[in-house]
Amino acid sequence: MAAPGKLKKTFRDPLGKNNPVFAQILGICSTLAVTNKLENTVIMSLGVLFTTSLSGLTISLIRKWIPARVRMMVETLIIASFVIIVDITLRAYMPEVWQQLGPYVGLIITNCIIMGRAEAFALNNPPGLSLVDGIASGIGYSYVLIVIAFFRELLGTGEVWGFTVLGSWWTNWSIMIMPPGAFFMLAIFIWFVKGMIIKEEEAAK
Amino acid sequence: MNKDGFYATRIYPIIFMVLVTVVFISGVSGIYLSTKDRVELNETIFQKMAVLYAAGIDYPEGDPQGIQRVYEQHVSEVAGTSGSDEEPRYFELKLPDGETGYAVFTRGAGLWGEIVAIFGFEQDLQTITGVEFVEQNETPGLGARITEDWFKQQFRGKRGPFEMVEEGTADEVNELDAITGATRTSDAVLKIANRATDTAQEKVKGE
Repeated sequence: MAAPGKLKKTFRDPLGKNNPVFAQILGICSTLAVTNKLENTVIMSLGVLFTTSLSGLTISLIRKWIPARVRMMVETLIIASFVIIVDITLRAYMPEVWQQLGPYVGLIITNCIIMGRAEAFALNNPPGLSLVDGIASGIGYSYVLIVIAFFRELLGTGEVWGFTVLGSWWTNWSIMIMPPGAFFMLAIFIWFVKGMIIKEEEAAK
Repeated sequence: MNKDGFYATRIYPIIFMVLVTVVFISGVSGIYLSTKDRVELNETIFQKMAVLYAAGIDYPEGDPQGIQRVYEQHVSEVAGTSGSDEEPRYFELKLPDGETGYAVFTRGAGLWGEIVAIFGFEQDLQTITGVEFVEQNETPGLGARITEDWFKQQFRGKRGPFEMVEEGTADEVNELDAITGATRTSDAVLKIANRATDTAQEKVKGE
């Protein structure tokens, strides 16, 4: 196991200053696509969390035997296998959710965060640390999406998780649940986090 | 082992790749096979619920055996050649009021993809008993609201040819509430609803 300092840093970085979504701007496709309903977003996030952590662990376990020239094929194969497992499991045990998410589950395979963590981290670090990195990246991705989805669903439909929160006086901002709304929300989020929180931290140093 | 040798650069990657593929594909196949029956059951139950919903027949939600029982009592599938893949040509229904009804699959282009619906009809093949959308990829929160109860319920007892009116204003027998903010989806559903009557006539009478 790695030194506690490194472990802490591995876990904390993807949540804050090295966040996959708002710092590295990865996984934007799914950030834009699934965040108009909180429920779909949470399930998508769980799928990504599952895949990033287990693919990181697996790739790290066999990293010493992976030939450098085919490493991307191996990574893609492993990632795709885990995603198909998520897809099959949802289909068998949560058919309604699977029906709603439809093609998005398969698209986890192309989420750059997962491939990015495999390339940048799992190939060069021990399994335990890679698992932590995968979990942290998954959480870092998830909470950004959940915040965006919360506001998009609230402003766009007056509901949260399908329950009406804002009364009949509220006029739905339809644009929020359409693709442009995602760009606005994501941009506001990045602006808020980078402009307010990260800058303050740097000033404090 | 020579790192730049023929074995290390040419043979080993191939062996490795084959090995990894076999291991992972076996794992995935194993999971697929072990859940296959469940997935198939989910799909048939899903279609049965859709037919019962379109017929306006109550069924016990979340109870596959109960749904199966109600389905067997009220629905018989009429096989035919015109349906795509293994779909029945139409469903003959025993409606809650004792009359005979029919249900058919109807398809049409939505905004993002195909919309597949099951429409239920009374014996006259004009009056709709209900509708269920079994496949749709409309915008969640906008067009996808066609799967919400208020939208589907409004079809019950209506007769075509239909017109779409502003959300919340439909009161004639041929008027349907459109969805605000989802004009293209509403238009698509209108087309499908109008086609459903023809489809039913053709499939049920044209046998």
